[in-house]
Amino acid sequence: MIGHVKQFLRMRWEAFTQTPFGCLLRLFVVRMFHGGAEAGAEELDIGVGATIVLLAMPGLLVSLLMFEKYGSLIRFLRGDGVFDPFTATIPDEYFFIVLSMVVTGAAALWRWDRIFLDRRDYMNLVPLPISIRSLFFANLCAILVLAGVFTLVVNAAPLILFPAAVVGSQGSFSLFLRFATGHTVAVFLASTFSCFAVFALAGLLMALLPAAVFRRLSLFARFLVAIWLLAVLGSSFAVPQLLTEISVVNAHRVAVLPPVSFLGLSRTVWGRGSETFVASMTVGAVVALGLAFLTALLTYVVSFRRSFIRIPETPDAGPLPRVSVSLSPLARLQKGIIHTPSQRACYKFVARTLLRSESHLQVVLGFLALGLVAAANTLASAPNPQAIVAGRTPSLEFLSVPLILSYCMVIGIRFAFEIPADLRANWIFRFWLDRDRHEARAIARRVLLMFSLSWLAPACFLLTLPFWGWAIALLHTTILTLCTVVLVEILLVRFRKIPFTCSYPAFKSHSGIMVVAYMFGFVLFSDYLAQMERWSLSDVWRAISFVPLFLIVVGALHFYRKQMLDMDKELIFEEVSVSGF
Amino acid sequence: MLEARGLSKFYGSVLAVQDISFCLRPGQVMGYLGPNGSGKSTTVKMLTGLLEPSSGQVVHEGKDIHNNLAAYRKRLGYVPEEANLYPNLTGEEYLDMVATLRAMSEPRKKKTIRSLLQLFSLWPHRHITMGAYSKGMRQRILLIGALMDNPDVLILDEPLSGLDVTSALIIKNLIQALSARGKAIFYCSHILEVVEKVCSHLIILRKGQVIAHGATTEVREQIGKSSLEGIFLQLVEERDVAQVADEIVEVVVSS
Repeated sequence: MIGHVKQFLRMRWEAFTQTPFGCLLRLFVVRMFHGGAEAGAEELDIGVGATIVLLAMPGLLVSLLMFEKYGSLIRFLRGDGVFDPFTATIPDEYFFIVLSMVVTGAAALWRWDRIFLDRRDYMNLVPLPISIRSLFFANLCAILVLAGVFTLVVNAAPLILFPAAVVGSQGSFSLFLRFATGHTVAVFLASTFSCFAVFALAGLLMALLPAAVFRRLSLFARFLVAIWLLAVLGSSFAVPQLLTEISVVNAHRVAVLPPVSFLGLSRTVWGRGSETFVASMTVGAVVALGLAFLTALLTYVVSFRRSFIRIPETPDAGPLPRVSVSLSPLARLQKGIIHTPSQRACYKFVARTLLRSESHLQVVLGFLALGLVAAANTLASAPNPQAIVAGRTPSLEFLSVPLILSYCMVIGIRFAFEIPADLRANWIFRFWLDRDRHEARAIARRVLLMFSLSWLAPACFLLTLPFWGWAIALLHTTILTLCTVVLVEILLVRFRKIPFTCSYPAFKSHSGIMVVAYMFGFVLFSDYLAQMERWSLSDVWRAISFVPLFLIVVGALHFYRKQMLDMDKELIFEEVSVSGF
Repeated sequence: MLEARGLSKFYGSVLAVQDISFCLRPGQVMGYLGPNGSGKSTTVKMLTGLLEPSSGQVVHEGKDIHNNLAAYRKRLGYVPEEANLYPNLTGEEYLDMVATLRAMSEPRKKKTIRSLLQLFSLWPHRHITMGAYSKGMRQRILLIGALMDNPDVLILDEPLSGLDVTSALIIKNLIQALSARGKAIFYCSHILEVVEKVCSHLIILRKGQVIAHGATTEVREQIGKSSLEGIFLQLVEERDVAQVADEIVEVVVSS
C-alpha cells in the first residue's frame, strides 16, 4: 500500500516537474539552496543535506537534554511532588520559540540575496516562451517552499521529542496531544514569522531604495538583523525569569519581544488564554504574523516589478561597489611590515577582497555581530553597571570586552579566508608565486592583525585611559595585543594558502572537533584570560609574567613549524579533505 | 630563444600531447593551430610552467625553465585563454598587483600602467571594479598585464577574444611591431585569418601530435593550398563541413 502511494506520488511529482511551471519551481528552489553560483564563484555552498543537518541540529540537541531535565525519576529525586507541565516548561517553551525564530531567521538572512531573481535568470529565462507571470508565481512558490522547509526542518525534532520528554511519563495521550499542539503551533508560527519578517525587510529595502543604495545598505541591514537575532537568543536566559517576577502591567514592556507573543499563543492553545496578558499576547502574535506575511507579499510584488522587469535598463552591477576608503593612509605602515613584492601584492589583494566581497564581508560581520552581542551580554552581567569602571583595576567585564571582540574578529576573518573568491582567477598567483617560499602565513598574519588590532588596540587604550591612567591602559593594550598575536599564530600554524585563492572541501573530517575547539577557545580567551589579566594588572611584575608565557607559546609554535615537513608547508591552491581515520 | 624538446603530457593514462618539439626565435611569431581538444592549452600551460611535462623539457636561453621558474617568468608575458580576473579589484588595482608580483619599481610601474591604460582606452574605467567590465575590457587588462614588464617572450592564447574591431586591429599591428623589435611570440588561436596575417611560422596540431610545422609560406607550399583555411581543413578536419551544416539544417527543420 505504502509502496503504491510512494510510486504514485513520485510519478505525480515527475509529471509536475516536466511542466514549464514545475520545472521553474524546481529550478528556483534548487537555486535558493545552492545559490546557483557558477563554478568557482564565491559562495559558501554547503549543499542541501548539510544545510538541513545544520538547521535541525540545535533543536535536536536541546530536545534530548529535556529528557534529563523532565525525566520522572529526576523529578522524583528532586522532590517535585505536583508537576504542572504548562507552568514548569515556560522557560523551555520560550527557549524553543526563540531557537526556532533565530535559526529560521538566520537561514533566511543567509539566503537573503537569493530570494529575488537576478540578471542571469533574466538572461536565461525571459527569452524563452514563458510568461513573466509564470516566473513571478514560480519564484513566489519557491519562497514559500523555502520558508516551509526551513520551518519544518528547524522544528522537526522538538515537535516530537520535547512533548515526549515533558509529558511522556504522565500516561495521558490527551495531555500529550494538547501539549504537543500548543508547542507545535507556537514554534511553527514563530518560525514562519521570523522567515517572513526577514523576507519583508529585504523586499522593503529593495522596493524603497535605488538598486545601488540597496546593494550598499543590504549588508549593513543584514548585520543589524544578525545582531537582533543574537540579542533575542540572549534574551532566552533572562526573559522567562522576568515574566514570572514582574506584574501584568510591566509584562507588556517585555512583550515587545516577538517570542513573548508566541509564548502567549502556546499558552492559549494549552487552555491558559483566559489571563489578560496571555490573551493580548496571542492577538499580538497573530497580528504580527499577518503583518509580516502581507508586507513580504506586497514588497515582493513591488520589488519584482522594480528590479526584475527593469534588469535590461540597468547596468550590470557586478560585485559590491568599491569601498571609497583608500588603504593609502596605512601605506607607510604596510611598507614597513611587508617586505617582499609578492607579500605586498597578496596583502593588497586580500585586504581589498575582504572589504569588497559581499560573501566574505557577510561572514566577518556575522562573527563581529556575535562578538558585539557577547560583549554586551558580558557587560550586562555585571552586578552593578557603575562597578564596571570603578576600582583600582578594571573589572572582569571591562577586560573581557576587547578580548571577546578580538577573538570573534580574528576567527571570523580566518574563517572567511577559507571561502574562495573566483577560483578561476587564481591562475595569476599560480603563475607568479613560488610555492616553496612559504609566504602564505606571513600574508595571512598581517591581514589578521591589521584588521583586528588596528582599531581594537587604539580603542582599548583610549577607553581605559580616562578611568585607570597611562600605566593600566598601556598594560591592558599590550596584553590584548600579545593575546591576539598568540591567537593568530595558533590559527595559522598549518596555514599554507593565499586567502581566497584555494578551493575547500565541502566537509572536513575534523570539522566537528574544530567547532568544539573554537568554542573552548572562546571561553578561554574571554573568561580565563580576562581573569588572568585582572590578576596581573594589580601589580606590574605580575603583568610582566605575561611576557615569558607569550614567548613560551610562540616558541612552541615555532618549534612545531620547524618539525613540519617541507611538503606540508608548500603553498597550495586545492585542498582535499583528509579522512580522520 | 624558447625551445620545446619532445614535450609529452599524460593526464592519468590519457595522452594529451606527444613529442612536441619546436624552436621559437626572437622576432618570430609562431602560430599554434589545432581543433578543440588537440592539446593546444596543455602545450601553452607547459610553456608557461603552469604544468610540468610528463617527458621532455621547455628550454629558455639554454636552461630548463623549471630550474628557475621565477627568472623565466620575469621575461615572459602571458595572456591566458579566458579572461579570469578578480571581480572585486579595479583594473588599475589588478595591474598594480601584477606589476608588484613582477617586482617592477614603483615609478616605472605607475608610469607604465598609466600609459598603457590610456592607450588601451581603459583610463576612464580604471576605478571601476572588473566585475562590471565587458569581455573586451577584461581581455585588454590581460594584454596590459602581459606587456607591462617588457617581456622577451609572449605567449598569447586567443588574445583577440571579445575585442572590438579597432582593438583587434591594434593588437594585430602590435604583434607585428613587437616581433620587429625582436620579441618571440607564441600565438595560439582559432581565427585562421589572423594567424595567416600575423604569423611567420606555423605549427598545426591534431590529436596531440604535430602534423605540420615550418614557415607559413613553406607549409602552404608543402600542402599545395593557397589559404590557411584550406590547409587546416585538409590536415585536420575529417568531416565534410558543408555536409555537416546541411545535416544540422535538416535536423532543425524536420524537428
